[in-house]
Amino acid sequence: MSVVDVCTAAVAALPVGGAGLSAMSKAAPSHPLCSTDDISEQLEELQLTLGEGPCVDAFVRGSAVLTPDLRITELQDHWAVFADAALEAGARAVFSLPLQKGAISPGVLDLYANIPTVLDTEELADALAFADLATLLLLDTRIDETGAPTGGPVPDHSIEDLGAHRAEIDQASGMLTAQLGVGIEEAFVRLRAHAYARGRRLADVAADVVARRLRFSPDAEPDQGKEET
Amino acid sequence: MDQQLLAKTFVELADNLVADFDLIDFLRLLTDRCVGMLDVSAAGVLLADRDGKLRVMAASDEQVRLLELFQLQNDEGPCLECFRTGVPVIVPDLGTATARWPRFAVAAQRGGFGAVQALPMRLRDEIVGALNLFRTTPGPFDPAATPVAQALADVATISLLQERTAQRSTVLNEQLQTALNSRVLIEQAKGKLAERQDIDMEQAFSALRGYARSHNRRLADVARALIDGSEPLTGLGS
Repeated sequence: MSVVDVCTAAVAALPVGGAGLSAMSKAAPSHPLCSTDDISEQLEELQLTLGEGPCVDAFVRGSAVLTPDLRITELQDHWAVFADAALEAGARAVFSLPLQKGAISPGVLDLYANIPTVLDTEELADALAFADLATLLLLDTRIDETGAPTGGPVPDHSIEDLGAHRAEIDQASGMLTAQLGVGIEEAFVRLRAHAYARGRRLADVAADVVARRLRFSPDAEPDQGKEET
Repeated sequence: MDQQLLAKTFVELADNLVADFDLIDFLRLLTDRCVGMLDVSAAGVLLADRDGKLRVMAASDEQVRLLELFQLQNDEGPCLECFRTGVPVIVPDLGTATARWPRFAVAAQRGGFGAVQALPMRLRDEIVGALNLFRTTPGPFDPAATPVAQALADVATISLLQERTAQRSTVLNEQLQTALNSRVLIEQAKGKLAERQDIDMEQAFSALRGYARSHNRRLADVARALIDGSEPLTGLGS
């Protein structure tokens, strides 16, 4: 499964016409990753080119930006150029959901509808779930860069594992930023890579880090955490 | 129940529910007051995420062992039961609960607790979470304390609404998601600080909270700044 599949699934499940996903970062230029149709593609391109729009706001604020109707004057003032261009492209409602896990925020999922649309509670919950899944899949693509076994699919249980929202996983990620001198996103990716490489559960590896039974060292091979017994 | 302390606590909580209050700091204050007033030794506020999983928003103690006890209740335990049924769950003696919750009862006793209580956080028709109280010694809970505990659970629920108003969010589950994400952010920052200063998770939380308070900032904002390394945070070692 990839982020494209998440977009396709979101379109099938929600009252929207298309979905698109952009990689966002404070440090590097943002870029569109995928979209399910031409309108979505245009919406992604537009926001990144203009530097304004719900996607940009969702990234900056770290919360969903739900726009049931772009033809509302106040919004047209807020996103002066984007609102007109998006309407021109064929979008009427836009929902932007940040991909995030604490301070890790690798991108934004954008959904659009060609008629004014309000997502009900259940639909919004589903949209948030798609955003969470996209977050993990997007971060998984970076595991290859860390020296964990490559080529093979990421084991399915790893995603369920994350659904558990264990505080230790977040604490361990924070600890690794200091141990490795890296950003939080990379710390999290390295933690997961270690778990995959050893065939261990992420929560168990995280618990070892928090209990200070396992340390990561920037000098060692990326998959060689030093275990003390 | 000390009536004066009771009045003072509710006044203090109300005073803190101002326009730009900090939800996580507020809920921590509330759990601390639960411990101070209700003759319990630990308290936690758990919120349901959009999948109905209970997640810790605040605890009177940030140590891993206590957080684990809260987390364990996604599988079984008084909070899960309270969340599902919407009624308070009161267990005066955890020793009698091993058949009911085999894993939770054992883990709680191993953690040094003898009695537990869970009060629903009810918003209109919906249960959004639970207030979980632990006491070290088994024995009946003071019947006069239960309505007070429920009132504190209600204040916790109100604070969620207050946060929502402050953020001008119209959608509750989206707002809860944002609040839960703030909590993740704080866990990440606790980890970074604990590692850097070689301190435990509770000390790390206290340091973050102390910094946020003395600089009049929100905990989540300080946590984010610490993780991003985007600004000098004097005293937090960056």
